[in-house]
Amino acid sequence: MRNTTTGWLLIAPTLFILFVTGLLPFLYVLVVGFFDWNTFAQNPEPQFSGVNNFRALVFDAAFLKSLWLTFKFTAFVLVSQLVIGFFLAKMLLRDMPLKGLFRTIHTLPLMIAPIAVGATWRLMTVPGLGPIPHWMQQWFDVKYILSRFPDQAFATVVAMDIWHWTPLVTLTLMAGLSNLPEEPLEQARIDGASEWRIFWDITLPFLKPVVLTTVFIRLMDALRTVDEVWMLTGGGPGAETRFIGLHIWRVVFPKTDYGYGSAMSLITLYLTIVMCWLLYVAMTGMKEKTR
Amino acid sequence: MAQKTGFLPIKTNTFDRIFISVVLFVAISLLWMRFLEPFAPLWVSTLLSVVLGQWIIRKG
Amino acid sequence: MKRGFLQSRLLTVLFWLAMSALTLLPVWWMFLVSVRSRADLFGKPSFLLDVSAMTWDNYAAVLANPTFQKYMTNSLIVATSNAVLVSVLALLAAYAMSRFALAGKDNLFFWVLTNRMAPPAVFLLPLFLMFTGIKLGDWSLFDTRLGLILLYCVFNLPFAFWLLQGIVDAIPRELDEAAYVDGASTFTVLTTVIFPLARPGLAVTGILTWVFAWNEYLFASTLTSVEARTITTGLAEFVTVTGTNWGQLAAVAMLTLAPAALVLALVQRHIVAGLTFGAVKG
Repeated sequence: MRNTTTGWLLIAPTLFILFVTGLLPFLYVLVVGFFDWNTFAQNPEPQFSGVNNFRALVFDAAFLKSLWLTFKFTAFVLVSQLVIGFFLAKMLLRDMPLKGLFRTIHTLPLMIAPIAVGATWRLMTVPGLGPIPHWMQQWFDVKYILSRFPDQAFATVVAMDIWHWTPLVTLTLMAGLSNLPEEPLEQARIDGASEWRIFWDITLPFLKPVVLTTVFIRLMDALRTVDEVWMLTGGGPGAETRFIGLHIWRVVFPKTDYGYGSAMSLITLYLTIVMCWLLYVAMTGMKEKTR
Repeated sequence: MAQKTGFLPIKTNTFDRIFISVVLFVAISLLWMRFLEPFAPLWVSTLLSVVLGQWIIRKG
Repeated sequence: MKRGFLQSRLLTVLFWLAMSALTLLPVWWMFLVSVRSRADLFGKPSFLLDVSAMTWDNYAAVLANPTFQKYMTNSLIVATSNAVLVSVLALLAAYAMSRFALAGKDNLFFWVLTNRMAPPAVFLLPLFLMFTGIKLGDWSLFDTRLGLILLYCVFNLPFAFWLLQGIVDAIPRELDEAAYVDGASTFTVLTTVIFPLARPGLAVTGILTWVFAWNEYLFASTLTSVEARTITTGLAEFVTVTGTNWGQLAAVAMLTLAPAALVLALVQRHIVAGLTFGAVKG
């Protein structure tokens, strides 16, 4: 083994950059969250204010609403993407011509810049120009105006996210499904088990780690969705699709109320970590206990 | 950092239990500020959390 | 037999044709908007391309616009520099991780990876304060390409590090040991042994990090104002500032998504492993 100093020198630039761009901002926000600091206020200097920011936050209706919307959105997209993704994975595993091409096309949305995804969907939904309002009017006699009806805006944002991210779920589940052991499946079929039972008792337990990993990744991404929603609805109508990332960035940030914004960032980070940790425990902890 | 099984439903090491205590501390404080502060000052919740944290770290 | 039909290849292919159409429809529509003249945009939506009425005016207008040219150049410079920087640093770090007995390296590895998981909106505020606050004379990192190049490391570096770690681990130790025995320095080993063998992996790393940097919006929009704006922020400005020039908006959006679409086939197999950090092999 060579001198470890050389090793540390090689890894030092990476650690330094991540310290400055990753850890330092976190520590900064952790401290500022406990200060009263508004550059446009009478006293622009930071002053220690204890937990006052947090005390105000738990009564901040706009903030709580934004959190609630974020969770609603996350639940909707996670469930629908898992169901659709599983079905598509099954379909993609079938033997067919042009499989590679279909797979590539299906992967396309994953690579597109979120902001461009938002632009794409905006063009699909603009009244007078986009085809979706036109079809809605023609086929269902429904007035479809994103900037007026909150339910439509929310549903469209969910649909956009499904279009954008279902391919990831499809591909991960496909990877899981293709590693499924043949033998227990064959045995169960010979024993005359129904497809439904096979799914619940064999396929699903085997897929569990892949499903949980996928949910983990999607959860983190869904909680921080900003770009495409900003482009599609701008958070509107009103604040009906203003998810937490958007709320911090568009509402709190421009007010230059740094202490309050930091406190809000901290709570958001806290909730993200707690949710991810709970999932992580579900992934690993439970397994250890039953062993 | 020995793994052990206490009253918590999962196997934890000391770090996990400290983490759980901190998470609960924050959650209790925030909920206290929202719902209970008119009736009891915040240090009560802090006290409660510290006691709870101690218990989790020792026995979890 | 109903079941036989449901399982048939014909139905599967038809199903995937429909799915592909559904996936491509929004992008195709955007392309149509970008090549139609303003007068043809409204009315009953048609998904057919009328070749005779096709116009490249929107692209021409966008590409001739000096502001947009600047955004595009910025994006190219930022994404390329970031991809190169990240690949080089990550290769060094991965080599160190793989070949040296560094204390606490598992925890270090985990910490590096967590940087990618952080929600960017949460760090906007401290980053903004750091970027505007740290000054060398009149110069600060705010609104500079260098700032963005460094900042994008926060999500690209962990990713590249993780990807290259697996690749360096797969290079047999005997090869660099043999070079060391011949008296080579660490630098020589890196450039003559590791680099050539890691080249395919470096290519994938470079392409994917380039795309991620190119696609980034939130940091770019907050930490730049005039000089260092990127193409993604330009795209957003089209909606918020210039209002409703849909043709040009579509043209910019097409230019924004084009690079990613072009390299899609090259890196397709690595996307899943990349996005799930190898927890699931695609």
